[in-house]
Amino acid sequence: MAMPSFLEEDTTLIDVNRDDPSSSSEGGGSDGDDKSILAHEIESKKPPTYSRFTQQELPACKPIITPKLVIVSFTLIGFLFIPIGKTALSASNNVVEIAKRYDMECIPEIYSNNILHYIQSVGTNKTCTVKFTVPKHMKGPVFIYYQLTNFYQNYRKMSYGVPLRSRIKDTKYMGSRSDRQLTSKAYEGAELEKCEPLEKVGEEPIVPCGLVAWSMFNDTYSFSVKDKALIVNKTNIAWESDKETRFGSDVYPKNFQTGDVIGGAKLNSSIPLSEQEDLMVWMRTATLRNFRKLYGRIDVDLEANDEIAVEIQNNYNSYGYGGEKLLVLSTTSAFGGQNKFLGVAYLTVGGFCFFFAIIFAIIYHFKRREIGDTAYLSWNRNPVGYYMK
Amino acid sequence: MSGGWERVRGSRSRTTRYSSFGSSAPSRTVTLGRVQPQAPGHRTIYCNDRDANFPVRFKGNSISTTKYNFFTFVPKGLFEQAGGELLLSIDLDLINDTNQLLKQLAYCSSEVGLFTFLWTSPVNPVTNVVPLSLVLLVSLIKEAFEDWVSVIHDYCGLHALSFDSSFRMMCLKNELYVLQDEKWEAVPWKKLQVGDIIRVKQDGFFPADLLFLASTNADGVCYIETANLDGETNLKIRKALERTWDYLTPEKAAEFKGEVQCEQPNNSLYTFTGNLIFQKQTLPLTPNQILLRGCSLRNTEYIVGAVIFTGQETKVMMNSMNVPSKRSTLERKLDKLILALFGTLFIMCLIGAIGSGIFINRKYYYLGLDKGVTAEFNPSNRFVVAALTLFTLITLYSTIIPISLYVSIEMIKFIQSTQFINKDLHMYHAETNTPALARTSNLNEELGQVEYIFSDKTGTLTRNLMEFFKCSIGGEVYGSGVTEIELGGAQRNGMKVQEVRKSATAVQEKGFNFDDHRIMRGAWRNEPNSDTCKEFFRCLAICHTVLPEGDESPEKITYQAASPDEAALVTAAKNFGFFFYRRTPTMIYIRESHVEKMGKIQDVAYEILNVLEFNSTRKRQSVVCRYPNGRLVLYCKGADNVIYERLASGNDDLKNVTRAHLEQFGSAGLRTLCLAYRDLSAETYESWNEKFIQAKSSLRDREKKLDEVAELIEKDLILIGSTAIEDKLQEGVPACIETLSRAGIKVWVLTGDKMETAINIAYACNLINNDMKQFIINSETDAIREVENRGDQVEIARFIKEEVKRELKKCLEEAQQYLRTVSGPKLALVIDGKCLMYALDPSLRVTSLVKKGARKITLSIGDGANDVSMIQAAHIGIGISGMEGMQAVMASDFAIAQFRYLTDLLLVHGRWSYLRICKVITYFFYKNLTFTLTQFWFTFQTGFSGQRFYDDWFQSLYNVIFTALPVIIVGLFDKDVSASLSKKYPELYMEGIRNVFFKWRVVVTWACFSVYQSLVFYHFATTSSASGKNSSGKMFGQWDVSTMAFTCVIVQEIHMHEPDDNIRAGLLEVGSQLTPQEERSYAIAQLPREISRHTGFAFDSPGYESFFASQLGIYAPQKAWDVARRASMKSKPKMPKRN
Repeated sequence: MAMPSFLEEDTTLIDVNRDDPSSSSEGGGSDGDDKSILAHEIESKKPPTYSRFTQQELPACKPIITPKLVIVSFTLIGFLFIPIGKTALSASNNVVEIAKRYDMECIPEIYSNNILHYIQSVGTNKTCTVKFTVPKHMKGPVFIYYQLTNFYQNYRKMSYGVPLRSRIKDTKYMGSRSDRQLTSKAYEGAELEKCEPLEKVGEEPIVPCGLVAWSMFNDTYSFSVKDKALIVNKTNIAWESDKETRFGSDVYPKNFQTGDVIGGAKLNSSIPLSEQEDLMVWMRTATLRNFRKLYGRIDVDLEANDEIAVEIQNNYNSYGYGGEKLLVLSTTSAFGGQNKFLGVAYLTVGGFCFFFAIIFAIIYHFKRREIGDTAYLSWNRNPVGYYMK
Repeated sequence: MSGGWERVRGSRSRTTRYSSFGSSAPSRTVTLGRVQPQAPGHRTIYCNDRDANFPVRFKGNSISTTKYNFFTFVPKGLFEQAGGELLLSIDLDLINDTNQLLKQLAYCSSEVGLFTFLWTSPVNPVTNVVPLSLVLLVSLIKEAFEDWVSVIHDYCGLHALSFDSSFRMMCLKNELYVLQDEKWEAVPWKKLQVGDIIRVKQDGFFPADLLFLASTNADGVCYIETANLDGETNLKIRKALERTWDYLTPEKAAEFKGEVQCEQPNNSLYTFTGNLIFQKQTLPLTPNQILLRGCSLRNTEYIVGAVIFTGQETKVMMNSMNVPSKRSTLERKLDKLILALFGTLFIMCLIGAIGSGIFINRKYYYLGLDKGVTAEFNPSNRFVVAALTLFTLITLYSTIIPISLYVSIEMIKFIQSTQFINKDLHMYHAETNTPALARTSNLNEELGQVEYIFSDKTGTLTRNLMEFFKCSIGGEVYGSGVTEIELGGAQRNGMKVQEVRKSATAVQEKGFNFDDHRIMRGAWRNEPNSDTCKEFFRCLAICHTVLPEGDESPEKITYQAASPDEAALVTAAKNFGFFFYRRTPTMIYIRESHVEKMGKIQDVAYEILNVLEFNSTRKRQSVVCRYPNGRLVLYCKGADNVIYERLASGNDDLKNVTRAHLEQFGSAGLRTLCLAYRDLSAETYESWNEKFIQAKSSLRDREKKLDEVAELIEKDLILIGSTAIEDKLQEGVPACIETLSRAGIKVWVLTGDKMETAINIAYACNLINNDMKQFIINSETDAIREVENRGDQVEIARFIKEEVKRELKKCLEEAQQYLRTVSGPKLALVIDGKCLMYALDPSLRVTSLVKKGARKITLSIGDGANDVSMIQAAHIGIGISGMEGMQAVMASDFAIAQFRYLTDLLLVHGRWSYLRICKVITYFFYKNLTFTLTQFWFTFQTGFSGQRFYDDWFQSLYNVIFTALPVIIVGLFDKDVSASLSKKYPELYMEGIRNVFFKWRVVVTWACFSVYQSLVFYHFATTSSASGKNSSGKMFGQWDVSTMAFTCVIVQEIHMHEPDDNIRAGLLEVGSQLTPQEERSYAIAQLPREISRHTGFAFDSPGYESFFASQLGIYAPQKAWDVARRASMKSKPKMPKRN
């Protein structure tokens, strides 16, 4: 049972210092003292080999956030963010935006107690004229948006009577559509079950099917300044990706809005979907219940104090669910439409950083503390309490 | 005659601890885990008759501790992982185990998705299946790996323990011969069957539990080594029944037809009851005839035995079963957190459900609610709408439950224990070639929170290398060494002690560290009491049960002793010139280099007549021997009080002087024994021997009768002197204990020494020092003695209990006074074992007392079988591996080779693990909550319909793909300070004791961040997209906005902890996925981060880095946080130093 001598050899080899990896080496001394298998076995039991991973010595860095570093970086952030915020804010301020709510204005007096009847009847005259003045010069292109409030385009809903298999699919207002059907004529009948109950007329599929398309916004606007009509450009209001890939150029509206209840706009069945930009805009469902969608574009400048008359076909029923309808005219800047949020956010963060940089600098100047002062360690500050707690 | 051999049977190494802790005798049936109740009935085995045994269908000899095999793995594993979740099988065990249950629930929540897609799920079900299967796959791979490890270990059947690679190799190569047709046939281990007659060669391992029949040695004895069982390396003797001695050759053995009736398989290693019915005689079997699987044969050419227990039924395997599993307290707290998350989930869903019930209305005509819509959206029954929406929302918000948390944590801990702890070179002991071993990966972070350490003394704090250090012969002290404990004692008194130079004559040998020119090298002959010296040395050389091994020369011989003390004494005799070199059953041969003529060597043979063996009640051992010249002497050695009671009257001077010496030795921390002898007249001996033989052959109460007979002759002894053996402290123990106490850990050392010795040891290992106020509770007070003398046990217990209570109360009051003073001394408590025993409820051990009473994390460290219960009772059990037995190691959670490695294990590994696991948990909590809350805010905008904010894949892969890696990286690599610093400043460890990183306060703070940041993400994404997005005035749709928000969330999560480069790579990946339009929103996303970065650091320990960095000579001022903190601290007059 005597320990073979090579064990002692190993002993000297395994004096490894954690902080000095170079001193490690493989235990190599294995003389052929093969008295028994047991001895052989002990020999082959190698000590753990050194590696930076197992010894937890992988290089790591933990930035030490010193007062100087903090003051400098806060100042830098301040210097960087305040101009950005300023730019963004002024860009937003340069944007001229006119928002005109017209849904109530466009109800004739006599129907004010029976709005739903007015909006739902086919025979009533829905034309209405709204006038407003341009407050500031608006450089073209001027974008025309319609804004709906309290409209849940993001509502999740399942349709009635869906067979088990298709329940797996997305079915909700948002999902009440067949994206596949829209892409190509070949898929006209594809994924119709998602669109229930608006998927078919008889055996013929509805194109585009589903609640989303069915409830498409159908107010129209025509603008005139000093009795001169302004041309509204309705091209290029949808995203390129929609036009190119998601709405097929060989798909034509079919059986659309032929049911008992008309939800909204009708589509010209001779124009392929890839050119129906209003539909594309509508079908890109909004995130929130209050949203704007692009209606068109006026490519000419609007002068200040111009009075604009808008002739609105007030078709869309926003009265049933208590929503508002607004007409918005807006110019854009490089940062998009009017949105002060971004600018304000940058300014706030920048301002705070700058403010704290100054505060810290003052404190640092007057109450400098030695680095590595052990007296500040918690167990040195209150030794008794620290041990006893 | 054979009495001398029997002694060995009864001896376990522990029995030679003359003073064991408390007064409890070391149990002879120490086992791992619970001792199973004896199965009713017995088994009958027909030896050498496979046909007769066949109907019983005994288990085979192959062993499998694996859970799976190749074919069952996938289905069984899947069932283990997912089966319970389907709630088809409600396994009570699983339900009992909250951990399991919560895991099930976590999986369930995702499986709710699986179920609910049938009617209410807002998300695509495929996307629900993928993350679940990923999680399951990872756990399956882990299971498979761990199972594979046990396959390797199982090959030979010892419990999965890496120590025994030698054993494994041996059993692979070991040739096994089974008797077949009067020949020894080689067969594989697993083919072995109950009843087979087998032959085992020297150094071979026993493949099953055997009945020992015959051996090549005379007298049918064989020597076995039980190192694999209990780690004891000394040889044990087994003796076959006399009637079976002849069945050695194959021809003869083939004739052996016995019938064994024995107990059913059980796990008690040291008991066996059974009978051998053989040649129409019933012979009783004892453990002495049983050779256990895993032991090995030594010093015997070969033996023949019959197989009685095989495979899974062997005692060692029965033992390796039920090891109680421990869970870390942190994990239990985690369960509470998960429950809280479930609560949050439910509240969120309830809010959403109520909202949906209120919202639903036919006026939203465009939603198509009027045409006979499903119940879920039928406005005419709002209650049903709300109820169904509740389920929808549960699936929608299920991301709040971190499905992959447990799997991630398990992976992290697994790597921590197998890669970091097991392979740490700082915890590798080169001399014994033992690395640290984490036997469980459950308790890594528990190591970072230990507040109480309970340590065994012998073998744990000390080396358990006994060295003959001093002696007192005939009233004269010999030996010039100074013990560490004496040095410690001197330190206490403020004296400086110079290290005594070793003289050139000093003999250095294992077990002998003694130097005194007066008696070394035969000089004792010139001492005035040279006759006493001679008796002393003879007593040492004769009165023992040591076996010599190897060459019969003083240099090469090795002694096999039941305990290192005995070996040390015999070695001492050798060095004094009484060289014990050979033993036969009746004789002891001593080479005496004394005698009248100088330099003359003489071999003397002493006839051993009787051996009165040692046991824990007798606390002494005697040998009756006959000199060649016919002189009859009884030599006796034993504990001082036992010997003193039996001394002949008179010669009080010697007694008193020796007693003083004993006390002196004791307070120096030495283990003492008294030696005495008695000359016997032939008549006295003969009459006594008759009684002895009678007692020995009695069938009932043999032990008791033997004890009584021994009393008759062990009297009127003449005191020779005493020996003192040193058990040296292990290297680095004092430093380690000091470090640990600075770390706020309270160390309790449990020792069986006298109080004075205990205090001295405490001084020696820095446990207490002069600055401390000591409270001593002792049972040796007059009042207690008085009551004890009355002898009423109940009264004694009651009295001592009250006394101790009073004392403790007094101490407490005093202690509180000290605490009130600002710079009070530290406190130490020394308590007598007897007091403790009485003061406590007997069923409670100290460890469990602290564990239960104080709700603190306890750690027990021990090395031997007697520490097993302590190790299992504590939160963390640590076994000292390498030197003594393996029982402690097998019961432990971690095994280290040296006590001093505790520093590394606790302060480095434990601390880091704790820190990392806490971070991982809070990180998980934070990221899931943030993600789910954005979803929640969105619900308010969608008419509570349960519309999802994120794309299906984003949502379901959020945990398992998008944010999986950062968490694991944090769990593996995060360090706040380096290893050397955390050892240099042990105070850092107190964070763990106080659990500062995982308190509810911390969790709530993280929750606040979550709420705040989710609001920022949500509103940032939605508000900033409320107007035209570019100069062409186009608007974002919902998916544009949500992708932007998701990017924000991910970027934020990843940035929240960015410990190293891997994560940056992840960030870049995310960055490259951004579309041009989103790039700006990405830039925007940086904004809230700048704010949160600094708040995020609030959890780091304040101000450490700067301090530590400066210690390393790096210029490093404080953090911004400190600046603000300092500003807020201005008003407090507490800061002593201000520049």
